[in-house]
Amino acid sequence: MSAVRRAARAAVNRRRFQTFVLGVVVMVSSAMAIATLGLLAAVSGPFDRAYDAANGAHVVAEFDSSKVTAAQIDRAAKAPGVEAVAGPYPMAVLHSPSETGDHPIGMSGSFTVVGRDRPDTPVDTLELSAGRWPSGPGEIVLNAPASLGRTEIRSEHQVVTPDGVRLEVVGYAASASRSAGGWVTPDQARALNPASFQMMYRFEDAGSDSALKAGTAAATAGLPSDALTGTGSYLAIKAELAKGPNTYVPFLTVFGVLGLIVSVLIVGNVVSGAVVSGFRHIGVLKALGFTPNQVTAVYLVMVTVPAVIGSALGSVIGGLVGKKLVHQAFFGIFGNDLVIDRAAVPTWVHPVVLLGMPVLVAVSALVPALRARRLPAAVAIGAGGVQRTGRGLAVQRRLGGSRLPRPVSLGLGWPFTRPGRTALTLSTVVLGVMTVTMALGISASVVEFGKLRDRTDRVQVRVDLNNPKWNQPGPVHSDEQLFALLRALPGTAHVSALSVVETRTAGSPDIVRVGVESGDTAAMHPDLVRGRWIEGPNEVVVSSEFWHRHKVSLGDTITLDTSDGPQPQKVVGETTEGWDVTTLDWDRFVLLSPVQRAQSFSVQLTEGTDAQDYATAAAGTDPGLNASVNGASDTVEKVIISVVSTLTLMLVVVSGLGVFNTVLLNTRERRKDLGMLKSIGMTPRQVIAMTVSSVAALGAVGGIIGAPLGMLAHRIVVPLTGRGTGLDLPDSLLQVWSWPTVVLLALSGAVIAALGAYLPSRGAAKAPVAEVLRTE
Amino acid sequence: MSNSGGYEERDVVVRLTDVRKDFGDYAALDGVSLTIGAGESVAVMGPSGSGKSTLLNMVSGLDRPSGGSVVVGGEDLVGLDEKGLALFRRRRVGMIFQFFNLLDDLPALDNIALSGQLVGLKAPVARKRALELMGELGIADRRNVYPASLSGGERQRVATARALMNRPALLLADEPTGALDSRSGDQVMQLLMDLNRLGQTLLVVTHDPRLAARCARRVVEVADGRIARDSATNSAADAAITGVAEVAR
Repeated sequence: MSAVRRAARAAVNRRRFQTFVLGVVVMVSSAMAIATLGLLAAVSGPFDRAYDAANGAHVVAEFDSSKVTAAQIDRAAKAPGVEAVAGPYPMAVLHSPSETGDHPIGMSGSFTVVGRDRPDTPVDTLELSAGRWPSGPGEIVLNAPASLGRTEIRSEHQVVTPDGVRLEVVGYAASASRSAGGWVTPDQARALNPASFQMMYRFEDAGSDSALKAGTAAATAGLPSDALTGTGSYLAIKAELAKGPNTYVPFLTVFGVLGLIVSVLIVGNVVSGAVVSGFRHIGVLKALGFTPNQVTAVYLVMVTVPAVIGSALGSVIGGLVGKKLVHQAFFGIFGNDLVIDRAAVPTWVHPVVLLGMPVLVAVSALVPALRARRLPAAVAIGAGGVQRTGRGLAVQRRLGGSRLPRPVSLGLGWPFTRPGRTALTLSTVVLGVMTVTMALGISASVVEFGKLRDRTDRVQVRVDLNNPKWNQPGPVHSDEQLFALLRALPGTAHVSALSVVETRTAGSPDIVRVGVESGDTAAMHPDLVRGRWIEGPNEVVVSSEFWHRHKVSLGDTITLDTSDGPQPQKVVGETTEGWDVTTLDWDRFVLLSPVQRAQSFSVQLTEGTDAQDYATAAAGTDPGLNASVNGASDTVEKVIISVVSTLTLMLVVVSGLGVFNTVLLNTRERRKDLGMLKSIGMTPRQVIAMTVSSVAALGAVGGIIGAPLGMLAHRIVVPLTGRGTGLDLPDSLLQVWSWPTVVLLALSGAVIAALGAYLPSRGAAKAPVAEVLRTE
Repeated sequence: MSNSGGYEERDVVVRLTDVRKDFGDYAALDGVSLTIGAGESVAVMGPSGSGKSTLLNMVSGLDRPSGGSVVVGGEDLVGLDEKGLALFRRRRVGMIFQFFNLLDDLPALDNIALSGQLVGLKAPVARKRALELMGELGIADRRNVYPASLSGGERQRVATARALMNRPALLLADEPTGALDSRSGDQVMQLLMDLNRLGQTLLVVTHDPRLAARCARRVVEVADGRIARDSATNSAADAAITGVAEVAR
């Protein structure tokens, strides 16, 4: 065995550069595999783990306390299939509560308060992130995820109910089930005139909407039919939380699969190339008396050593890159500590790649090594110097007669002499171009989506009103005065005002964000996905997300809590942008907002008006205004583009390395030919031209195949991404290609190939020729 | 005639003046001066490591001297960059190697035409000229055969035709019969003699006294990086020529 080890070490020493290339390829491939596998695994199921750990409620039910008693609800819940319950708890809804203290404590316009005696109930176990649980009347714990960083308890923070009851904030807690805005003692809740009971259930079967419906029906059997006023499903929370990952999953899956395929192809190409180029050495070993098994072992050891080192380094790099990608992906999206803490590359990925990559390398080496094993020693010894025959000769001859410069036509003939290597290299370039194309398409669609959502073609300037609670000067003018001031500015085409309020639909614990608008609203919105803009009172337009989550249709009525109590609203349209619900019913909704007035104005400018100048002028009309040009891409877009760019860069580097390796192998195999060509007067530049041509043509073919494949992948991935996030994406998001872009993308294969080929070509051009021409 | 004078300047094809080539501390060539006139046939002989191949590399522009000057076909090679050297090799010299160095992917005709195409001849023109040369060298019927299917002698004829493609001022041959059987070697020797008779200047590096005797009218013997004898300048070389001539007989 020591002979094998010594021979393998000698082989590694003799081909240090090739060993180095193999190590680098394995390193980058491992890093890529870890990053993509980690990302895929991380986005595939953190919610369920986190939700189960918090004993999240499968269903949060709300009962009319005038129609059913707590004892009845409790009795009915002892039904088969019910795993655990919490409640019933008295529940009150505070409309437009106010707050005290210098710093806002983030209360919504419609605020649910539940009376609970303890946080650690068997269902909806609450995690106190700060302070303590209420122990008596006049105390409240607010629902605030730990990620919001609410750790400081200040005695001046109080919630003031519309009836003037003051509740001191004594703690913050997070509810995975989003069961309430705040919790007080049961006695305190009863003092707030609760109209409902809240009951939370976990069911043995909670895998689908129908299972939850069946479970709820069983747990409420025997109760008065109109007692159950609404239910909230954990599947809706899951769908909402999964929006972020779902944005990523389709294209990450494609990137991950591409990355793995490219890694496998390149490793296979590099390793088999290393073994094939060592045939002569194999012959020498056999001549010295090495058995076929020992020869195979030498070559497996020779390639496995750099593979192990490469995969170990790649594992570290991939872990770091993957961790960054995963955090990037989650932090910008979830904003929820339920999942952020678990957003890391899963531990199983590292050993899988650490073991898998060297095994892949060994398997890749095994095929040519077994071929070498069968070769008679004399044939193997001759493999490095005896003439190659038979492959691509007709093509070479035809190229020789073409009008192309001879170095170019010679180079173009090279790929035909090694069809296996050519196929692997071509596949690498195809996948590289496909990735670049898809990445560009996704980025362009994301940018287009951002424009659509931010309405940059309709709204050029946003004017935000400072919130005096945040120690900034508030506006000195009223909403009407600000309307007038903005309309009077030169360049104003249309103005609308917006106030965002949080309310709820009857029967659901979910907060609904309502955009209340006034002014020239119709002119400020892009075309709707379906339906029409609001024309009368009690009409609303809903977002695609709301549309799917709540399964509404045009003409449906939803009931929203307003300052006048629950009000039915007719759904007349669906839009990809905006808030959950958009209404023009200013008077009924704006009172739910903490500031009870407009929070921002949107301005559409006339043609030719400079948006920046206008923003400066608008900000000058009132010290409480903060005006900015509309159009900066948001976190999600930046995160998506950043993740896509990182993965694309890695894939392009790996593809380039694949080409680099192919050219390296080719030039080493042809060093004698190159020497001869130089001896008969081929200039260094012509050598580079010949060598680069040998793969640029492959690159061009790869580009022509890869670009349409990338466009196809983009066409599949973007709608999948939309579906995953519950958005109906208009077709315009797919129309991101222009002819020049497509042509450039098709050429990008040649560019990737030329970049990968350039260094080894230069090496070949500079290599001394005198010696190589004299040796056989 | 002398190696430093005696030539009409216009007749000088090669002029080496005090050429040195150092590899670290080792001097492969140590102050070599040599002049070769048009139409001469010169054999460079010497034991392994004597510096004869290095001398050939200097003349062919495949390597650069550490000192001195190398002028071939009127071009001073010391002042040329890599591209300039390549253009020089393309236009001024033709090279024949011991191991032929043909491109396995190209048939014989295209191997020969390649040199012409590098100087800018269109493919049909280059192929026509290559075919003429093949006819002259007696291998026209092998034009579509790939190197792997040619005999050693045929390969060397193809290599010779390739070297002659651009009508070089100087034909350089490095052990041209070293890889051939004696019959093929004889054919190649005859070919070189015929070429020289037609006016082709010839510089042959060889171990083979028979080749030197048959092909060269002048023998330069190199030892330890210096010219030990030159049949054009001293009697020792004449004796060597006589010796090799006898061997040849």
